[in-house]
Amino acid sequence: MGRPLDDGELVTRAQQGDVAAYEELVRMHQATAFRTAYLLAGSTADAEEAAHDAFLKAFHALRRFRRGTPFRPWLLAIVANEARNRRRSAGRRHALALRAAREIRPGDAAPSPEAAVLSRERQDLVLAAVNRLSEEHRLVVACRYFLDLSEAETASVLGIRTGTVKSRLSRALEHLREEVPRA
Amino acid sequence: MTGLESELRNLASAIDFPEPPDIASNIHVGVPGPRQAAWGRRIALAVAIGGIAIGAGFAVPQARSAILRIFGVGAVKIEFVDRLPETQPVTRLRLGAPIDPADAPFLLLQSRLLGDPDGVFRRGDVISLLYGTPERVRLLVTEIADSDFTPEVGKKLASMGTHVEFVPIRGSVGPGVWIEGRPHAVRLPGGPARLATNTLIWTHGPITLRLEGAESLQEAVAIAESLG
Repeated sequence: MGRPLDDGELVTRAQQGDVAAYEELVRMHQATAFRTAYLLAGSTADAEEAAHDAFLKAFHALRRFRRGTPFRPWLLAIVANEARNRRRSAGRRHALALRAAREIRPGDAAPSPEAAVLSRERQDLVLAAVNRLSEEHRLVVACRYFLDLSEAETASVLGIRTGTVKSRLSRALEHLREEVPRA
Repeated sequence: MTGLESELRNLASAIDFPEPPDIASNIHVGVPGPRQAAWGRRIALAVAIGGIAIGAGFAVPQARSAILRIFGVGAVKIEFVDRLPETQPVTRLRLGAPIDPADAPFLLLQSRLLGDPDGVFRRGDVISLLYGTPERVRLLVTEIADSDFTPEVGKKLASMGTHVEFVPIRGSVGPGVWIEGRPHAVRLPGGPARLATNTLIWTHGPITLRLEGAESLQEAVAIAESLG
């Protein structure tokens, strides 16, 4: 079996009409695209639709995509645009409050009951502080740490420059340090 | 990385994100043609398929049904859903303002088989060529042109019981899609919703076309290939 193709190779193939290559790109990026849309749209249904539409639009726009540039920031910019449009259409002004999952996820090591309670309390504390941040600070934190996006990808999603990502993140972390005592 | 940053990264796995949908298995895109990149904005076109008589319209309920499968054809997105939209009866097609074909925002494709339409209507950038009357439609050709490249992908909502077939159309960049079976409804951007009969959707250069009312796939393909 050959090595898996990277984004650039798949994009080149998709631009040449290889639908299977595009489907592979979708498979590789659908989770991040959906979560990005969820963060911005604020509802699961809108995020699902935004991600679907973004992948359709990205496919039709592929020929405009400049080869050699990273695919994911370009895709996520389309996803973010779709998600923002849906949030606007829905008249949803308030940002989504992030919550911590309570169930144990598959593969998680089971902590002791005391450690689990402490860990949950700490998570709640940090997450509550993140949710109290201004929307622009909260989003930059969520993109960088919860979605694990690069600075360039965060900039694409938020429609700002990478320098602004850095400065917003720095200010957001300052606020969080003021609110959350050291562990 | 500071302790706080590590904590935030570790918190990522605990965030209650909904389960991502399996988009890759449900999305079906057409093959992009050489001219598609230069095509313009996709005009929204929404169609629902349901077991309702022709001549009705529908109102999309607030609670959406689950999307089971999606196809993209030119400017149109076809969604298969587990629950169809609610419908309400209407008796007359509202296709927009009547226009002279020469005033259309793009060069209209006309069928050599069908001849001149009985009426041409415009709603935004969507042009309808009507054969028959708004009360008794014989055939309807809808033409949707692109004007830039930030496509607004259109939508069709279909129940899984509906027959959908990909068919080759001479002159079309990718295959056309034939939707047959139960009547289905169409909604144009900014316009009211209504039901429709068997429909063929295909592309011709920068234009996405939709033919409604053909009695068979063969007739639909013959009409589609006569457009130019």
